[in-house]
Amino acid sequence: MKSRFALGAVVAGVPLALALVGPWVAGGPGPRAASFTLGGGHPLGTDFVGRDVWDQVLLGGRSVVLVALAATAVAYLVAFPLGVVSALTHRAWLEELLMRPLDVLLAVPSLLMILLVAAVLTPGAAGLALLVALVNIPDAARIVRAAAAEAASRPAVEALRMQGETWWRTAVGYVGRCLTRTLVADAGVRLTGVLYLVATAAFLGVGVEPDAADWAVMVDRNRTGLFVQPWAVVVPALLIVALTMGVNLLADAGLEKRRRTWTP
Amino acid sequence: MTGPRSWIARRLLLGAAQTAAVVLLVFALTEALPGDAAVALAGDQPDPERIAAIREAMDLDRPALERLADWTAGLARGDLGTSLASGRPVGTYIADGFGPTLLLAALTVALLVPTGVGLGVLAARHEGRFTDRLVSSLTLGVYAVPEFAFGVLLVTVLALRLGWVPPTAVGYGTDLLAHPAALVIPVLVLLSRPVCSLARLVRAGMIDALDSPYAAHARRYGVPGVRVRYGHALPNALAPATQQLARTVDWLLCGVIVVEALYVIPGLGTVLMNAVAERDVPVVQGLAVVFGVTTVVLNLGADLVARRFAPRTEAAA
Repeated sequence: MKSRFALGAVVAGVPLALALVGPWVAGGPGPRAASFTLGGGHPLGTDFVGRDVWDQVLLGGRSVVLVALAATAVAYLVAFPLGVVSALTHRAWLEELLMRPLDVLLAVPSLLMILLVAAVLTPGAAGLALLVALVNIPDAARIVRAAAAEAASRPAVEALRMQGETWWRTAVGYVGRCLTRTLVADAGVRLTGVLYLVATAAFLGVGVEPDAADWAVMVDRNRTGLFVQPWAVVVPALLIVALTMGVNLLADAGLEKRRRTWTP
Repeated sequence: MTGPRSWIARRLLLGAAQTAAVVLLVFALTEALPGDAAVALAGDQPDPERIAAIREAMDLDRPALERLADWTAGLARGDLGTSLASGRPVGTYIADGFGPTLLLAALTVALLVPTGVGLGVLAARHEGRFTDRLVSSLTLGVYAVPEFAFGVLLVTVLALRLGWVPPTAVGYGTDLLAHPAALVIPVLVLLSRPVCSLARLVRAGMIDALDSPYAAHARRYGVPGVRVRYGHALPNALAPATQQLARTVDWLLCGVIVVEALYVIPGLGTVLMNAVAERDVPVVQGLAVVFGVTTVVLNLGADLVARRFAPRTEAAA
């Protein structure tokens, strides 16, 4: 499994490094050349409005990565309290009230929900992050709840309760801490799914400006010039492929490690 | 009432609740948002005339609950309303786009099951060896890749470099079956993610089932390996896979929208994206209900089938 970890790190490393360092390296907006040309001082040619493709590649990763990270973080911020409260509560109605609506949300296809909102509002990058987070909350909350319920049934929680520890200390101090490993493992898998949704939504034009420097938008907008200038499409597409593949390989290697340490 | 019957009753109840919730959610997300929906929908052309026209067409002056009641009553009769943009019934939009989408989905599912199960069984038979490692790494990697990135690369290689298939379906209309070459890339792209997840599940299930005591027992009795593998182990491995198959409907739906946009196929996904771009709320609502209810029904069906394969596993109800 070590090899899979290394492979994942290498495959995800290139797009991640480009996404994080790129905006500092990229030159300012240069003069616009003709659209879809090759050569002429542009290592990867020009895009549909005549901008330098290499510059756009350097600039375009940050939005994908940041929106995905923000969406994952927000999803857990909501799912964690929901899951822990419904696992620790002794009131069945409260648990039903918290968890049942999520079962129902799970039934709605994720991209459909995003498009429904996009039909009425015009969400920006923050709006897209919130939407993707919303779509991920039901599943994340279920996982938190399942893991928390297991931790909450341990004798240690019983002991804490009998000692009269506060609810807060039991819930966050003990149960919350027990969840860390599950959450770290799940976060990798969730990030893969979130990256997928963020990139796909951006490709369909949700949450981005039509000429934004964003890898997914580049793929979409430069498709018209695929015959004359394939680099403007192929390079960002390859970077997205590498990013999602690499993150998933890493997430799986993380899961595998956890499986092995837990089942001797 | 206990036993299988009560489980089925509970599962059906959940399905009904989910259907109701999908309808409610679609309405809430598109019409009950805070603020004046008519102003939001007018979007780029906020002249008072247009706003008034939208308000008139959607009956926005009436209370939301009344509109919801009317709309659901219409849905129950099969009346999905009329488009804001063209005044045509929403049903005709769906009828127009239905053929290509159904063809894509049916072809994908028909190829998905043999490919996914085949790859999974192949990997499980060679567990730990080269074939298994290759299949496992490949399925793991491709599983996460967004369809549009994969699709655009396929178009570049297969259509532009090699010239084997057309680069888009432009000019073929809705009769795609007459142009099988134009279906190659869309179906390959749609297959990419579900095949990977199915193959991984079947592999894991097969390995578990072949290691189990009942498989060892069958072998000790001299039952041939083929029969142990396909008669005993496979059905058990398929139970979780069937449920996953229904979950992949979600992806297939995302995939259809993306693939139709990418390959310019006039199906339901294209209709939906056009309606989203034009803020044609009744069409978006109608399509969302059709997609949402399809997902709910397929999930329900899959849970029932999974239970048939392995009755002792308590499928989530």
